[in-house]
Amino acid sequence: MLARSALRSARPVGAAARNAASKTASRSVSTSSSTAEGASSWKTNALPVGATAFAIGTVAWYAYIAGRDVDAMTPAEEGLHPTQYPWEHAKWNKTFDSQALRRGFQVYREVCASCHSLSRIPYRSLVGKIMTVDEAKALAEENEYDTEPNDEGEIEKRPGKLSDYLPGPYKNDEAARAANNGALPPDLSLMVKARHGGCNYIFSLLTGYPDEPPAGAVVPEGLNFNPYFPGTGIAMARVLYDDLVEYEDETPATTSQMAKDVTEFLNWAAEPEADDRKKMGWKVLAVTSVLTALSIWVKRYKWASVKSRKIVYNPPIKSPILSKLPKPTNKS
Amino acid sequence: MAGLTSFVYNTVFRSNVTMLTTVFASAFAMQLAFDTGSDRIWDSINRGRQWKDVKVRYVQKAEDDDDE
Amino acid sequence: MPALANTTRAIARSWTQHSLPVARAGCVAMQSRDASTSTFESPFKGQGSTKIPSFGHYKKTGGDENGPKLMSYFMVGTMGALASLGAKATVQDFLVNMSASADVLAQAKVEIDLAAIPEGKNVIIKWRGKPVFIRHRTEGEIKEAEDTKWESLRDPQKDADRVKKPEWLIMLGVCTHLGCVPIGEAGDFGGWFCPCHGSHYDISGRIRKGPAPLNLEIPEYDFPEDGKVVIG
Repeated sequence: MLARSALRSARPVGAAARNAASKTASRSVSTSSSTAEGASSWKTNALPVGATAFAIGTVAWYAYIAGRDVDAMTPAEEGLHPTQYPWEHAKWNKTFDSQALRRGFQVYREVCASCHSLSRIPYRSLVGKIMTVDEAKALAEENEYDTEPNDEGEIEKRPGKLSDYLPGPYKNDEAARAANNGALPPDLSLMVKARHGGCNYIFSLLTGYPDEPPAGAVVPEGLNFNPYFPGTGIAMARVLYDDLVEYEDETPATTSQMAKDVTEFLNWAAEPEADDRKKMGWKVLAVTSVLTALSIWVKRYKWASVKSRKIVYNPPIKSPILSKLPKPTNKS
Repeated sequence: MAGLTSFVYNTVFRSNVTMLTTVFASAFAMQLAFDTGSDRIWDSINRGRQWKDVKVRYVQKAEDDDDE
Repeated sequence: MPALANTTRAIARSWTQHSLPVARAGCVAMQSRDASTSTFESPFKGQGSTKIPSFGHYKKTGGDENGPKLMSYFMVGTMGALASLGAKATVQDFLVNMSASADVLAQAKVEIDLAAIPEGKNVIIKWRGKPVFIRHRTEGEIKEAEDTKWESLRDPQKDADRVKKPEWLIMLGVCTHLGCVPIGEAGDFGGWFCPCHGSHYDISGRIRKGPAPLNLEIPEYDFPEDGKVVIG
């Protein structure tokens, strides 16, 4: 590190170095140049080079000591770090489990949707992943949407179509705040991507409500204690209780089961392309690794003739130039 | 063996045109084979997880409902 | 700092060494030229410089020489095939990017219940921001449309080419002249009439009179089941 910085700092003084080089070169030709001159030139370089090296070294040392993981946050401020759970769908070779997505969507619809919107998910994207076309159409028709202005300029209501997006529980953010003591329930479409910790955070948050806040914890009026939420005071109360929903596939609806399903569903909502992405990823890896091996082989093949080439050079016999010059004759 | 190699060499690689044709034709075939094969592996790794595995129950159910 | 000095010294030494052979060659050239003879002689007369070392060790002994050739061509060819496969997939992915996205495609289709349209009535619906005329034609209108001598029209087209089911005429309600919306059940030919510049369309939507150059355009549509049409 230090040597490299010294080398780098030597670049500005390249001119001086070149000077010295030409001097030594000339010294090797004619032995008359003085050694004192050379010594003084590297002494003048020593000060700036040394100072630069010292400065760079100091900065590097400081960065090494203090440059990483500096934050003034306490666990209370940024929330308890969520546990790492072995999410099956997060593995690089696994897709989402459609059955779990279906259960998760049911939990979303029956529980979360009363406060949280999922505004980036259209009904059509549920088709072929969570439900059949007919189910999605029927679901869409349960809600009404604005039509385009008709001949009189009036906007009428029509039943939803597959191209419509899931409706939110509130008309706008102000209505949402008014209904929730001033707290805005965030849109959940991208929540898994938007929160540090992703699935782990959401699962921990949903299942992390203690029965009563620990001794000494200050919980402001209207808020609930959750150690995983930054600041620990969260406006959302615990919503998931055992057997809150009744799964159509008769999976026991425990709190953690529902939290797990809805987390997986929200992960799908945030990354609906994940399955295709993973599949494409390992296909690309497979092709490129074979391609890499082949190209290494071809490179070695093409270079074989170059690398195994022998260049032989036998220099002529050295003899002093002066002896070869024609001798002056004194005969004239 | 020697006869086979020289036969392949003479028919496929001797002329540049035939070699290029073979290369592109085999690229096409390889893509087909690779896509099919990788889909099959992917589906077997994720058996029971994808919608096409789960779908049967719900489609079946919808048809049963229609019959009733 | 001593490192720097060492480097410079090394550079200097290598310079002098490099310049030597050139100088030496020059000297050899000079010395070998004999003043008495004018014929050219090669200056490179070192011992054995033309003696080629044996490469016999590398030579393939025995067997068919096509084997290694086949191997190398196979490897090169496979690499080419794989590379073209990858290039094709890459290019394709970029091109797919440019086509319409899923949300646009989802809105690009309109489903209409035809049972609500009585015979001999026009219905105008909106599709991709444009009006679409749906005409439930009567027997007489179908006969009239089919019996018209279409060969001599401005934009000659058979009625059969313009409809999938003769009783349903579905077309874009945009005049091919300057894009006005024609009025239904009007004009000299019992079809549509464009009020902007007076183009008359017949009951098959073909231009018969006026400035418009082409017949009214037919969108993509399909009858997935009886009594329903999907436009787009």
